[in-house]
Amino acid sequence: MSEQKVTFRVFRYKQGDTAPHYDTFTVTVNERTTVLEALQAIRRDQDGTLVIRHSCHHASCGTCGMRVNGKEVLACVTNVLELGTPTVTVEPLQNAPLISDLVVDMGPFYETFSQAHLPFVRRSEYLPDAEVAEGVPFHMRFESCIECGLCVSACPVVASDAEYLGPAALAAVWRVVQEPRGTEVPPLLDWVNSEHGCWRCHVALECSEVCPSNVDPGGNIMALRQELVRRALGLSHG
Amino acid sequence: MLQETRALHPVRRRGWKGWFAVRKRHLGYVAFALNRLTGLGLVLYLIIHLVVLSMLARGPETWDAFIELAKSPAFLLLDVILLAGILFHGLNGLRVILVGLGIGVHRHKELFWGLMLLAAILFIFGAWGFLVV
Amino acid sequence: MSSYHVVIIGGGATGSALAHDLALRGIRVTLVERGEVTSGTTGRHHGLLHSGARYAVKDQESAKECIQENMILRKIAPGSFELNDGLFVAITEEDLAYYDDFMEGCAVCGIPTRTLSREEALRLEPNLNPEVKLAVQVPDGTMDAMRLPLRFLATAKHNGAVIKPYTEVLSFLMEGQTVTGVHVRDHTSGKEYDIGADIVVNAAGPWAEKIARMAGVDVPVQPSPGVLVAVWGRYNNMVINRLHRSGDGDIVVPQRELSIIGTSSWVVDDPDKLDVPEEHIRLMYEKGAEMIPALKHAKMRAAWSAARPLIGSRGATTGRELSRTFKCFDHADEGVEGFVTITGGKATTARAMAETTADVVVRKLGLDIPCRTREVVLLPHTAYYTQ
Repeated sequence: MSEQKVTFRVFRYKQGDTAPHYDTFTVTVNERTTVLEALQAIRRDQDGTLVIRHSCHHASCGTCGMRVNGKEVLACVTNVLELGTPTVTVEPLQNAPLISDLVVDMGPFYETFSQAHLPFVRRSEYLPDAEVAEGVPFHMRFESCIECGLCVSACPVVASDAEYLGPAALAAVWRVVQEPRGTEVPPLLDWVNSEHGCWRCHVALECSEVCPSNVDPGGNIMALRQELVRRALGLSHG
Repeated sequence: MLQETRALHPVRRRGWKGWFAVRKRHLGYVAFALNRLTGLGLVLYLIIHLVVLSMLARGPETWDAFIELAKSPAFLLLDVILLAGILFHGLNGLRVILVGLGIGVHRHKELFWGLMLLAAILFIFGAWGFLVV
Repeated sequence: MSSYHVVIIGGGATGSALAHDLALRGIRVTLVERGEVTSGTTGRHHGLLHSGARYAVKDQESAKECIQENMILRKIAPGSFELNDGLFVAITEEDLAYYDDFMEGCAVCGIPTRTLSREEALRLEPNLNPEVKLAVQVPDGTMDAMRLPLRFLATAKHNGAVIKPYTEVLSFLMEGQTVTGVHVRDHTSGKEYDIGADIVVNAAGPWAEKIARMAGVDVPVQPSPGVLVAVWGRYNNMVINRLHRSGDGDIVVPQRELSIIGTSSWVVDDPDKLDVPEEHIRLMYEKGAEMIPALKHAKMRAAWSAARPLIGSRGATTGRELSRTFKCFDHADEGVEGFVTITGGKATTARAMAETTADVVVRKLGLDIPCRTREVVLLPHTAYYTQ
């Protein structure tokens, strides 16, 4: 595999700093190197104080969400050379409290998200014709949302309305409406049927563009609205 | 504990400037930004329009002088810009209403370009009307 | 709460379960992790909730631990697993020849099994290689490699444990031959400080040797990486294992909207320097496709390496010959007091590792407090971030 050098411009901030700054590093990469691997190499070989979040390395945990060249991505599945820029700019997610360097505090995200009471396991829609094994109640899988916060960082409405529930939590509520699994639906619908709930969305739909995990938060918000309209008109069976 | 954390770490939120941070963004975001921009422009126009109408109260001389100015080519160009803003805002707004009601959510880009084609046709007719007729 | 203070080094599955165990026993706990929690080996594993069947022939100690813990985890972490069970599939005559040993091993280890004919297996998993001879159903499952440990951490936090990510141990505080704490750097602020401790536990996984060396003791840990490949789509509902002696690319774990094929095995010295060799990626595709042919053309989502912390025998070459069981070292045996290392093991057995270690810790502190982690239901993973 051929190797080449790429410059990384990395957002830096330590608690107590008056302002963030950018540091520049040069990293040797090949066709397969991901942004996450490059950042790990920086931390290992050049600057051990670089603070990054990562865990699964395959777009399943949602921890390595960041802005690469101005776009929200998961660093673990973002190929460096495919970005096609000689300098790669790496910044933390927006609309979240900054902890250090590329890491934001996910506390506020989860505070809202957890109010959707989305069960972690759902019915699987894959292989519908396969028989279910003895002793297994139904084919199940984890929910698609990996709680990475990319949608919340990319949303222009979250940028100006701190109280907006945001695409991740709203999409989670829609999943509960679709498949309640014992969760009480009406209080959730009341929660999102508000000025800062699903009516706050202005249909930029950037959330669905950046979502790495097929959640389509924008589509889910619109589905929630339809459901609320149906219920208001007395058309819903739910 | 969380409160303490929040006090320590600044939230990086762009506020209304975030609406116009369209670099690297997709069509829906750009349309959102343009909608805000044209919306603000139309509000500004409305205010100017009301100010102009108030000239009527100051008698026919003031008004006629204004009408002369309004016939100048530079002023007509402003009308053309206004027309573009109205068409974009109105037709994109129609798309936002439809998508916002769950109609054509996954076709919103095609819907956008379809409506913009309509906007372009109406604009050509309108501009021709302003500038030529 | 007791006035004793224990510092745990390492925020992986083991350290998380240990923080939970000790906090439940009323001991003050501070866990330090140099990166985000679960950023080492833990987050990167296969996501397999082992039934133990994989080790039922060659590594029965580990197999028994797995099935016991599998059952306990289902109780204490409800809603955290895809419980579709697993199949061991015999594709070749050679696989079939392994069947008797396999069934006997499972019986000895207490792993429930159900043998399925070719037709039954294909009805459950239509994408299986039609050459399949027979299959054995076992209680495998899928876990979220990060979120299960987060539940341990969330509950530990709730019970008073202090979790400090991005905090790296730079050196040990020693009084003579006794460890009295650690000197750390908080990477979020750059500040360095000391944390005093009655006992320090090294739960650094494949980094355990490096940590132990700071206290002047040697821990025989052999970092053994494996390559895993995630592809888009679910080709199977159940975990599909090859019915043969453990080898490369013989497990396909469906997870969320992905399928994870793994894994390979070799040994390295530095767990921070893991390659993802191209030929291993190809091997995963090839071996995975022997069980599920459609995987051959599946679209890759990611390929990565994770380093197992195997207890070795430095002479190991592939890591496969090393047991997957765990070991707790009380370094008083080597003359260093106040310092314990827990290593080896698997994500499935993390709770048991923690129980064993916490038993050692409380004994060293002269206490007699029983373990309660077999019964206490864990808080949801989201509670880790909201408390």
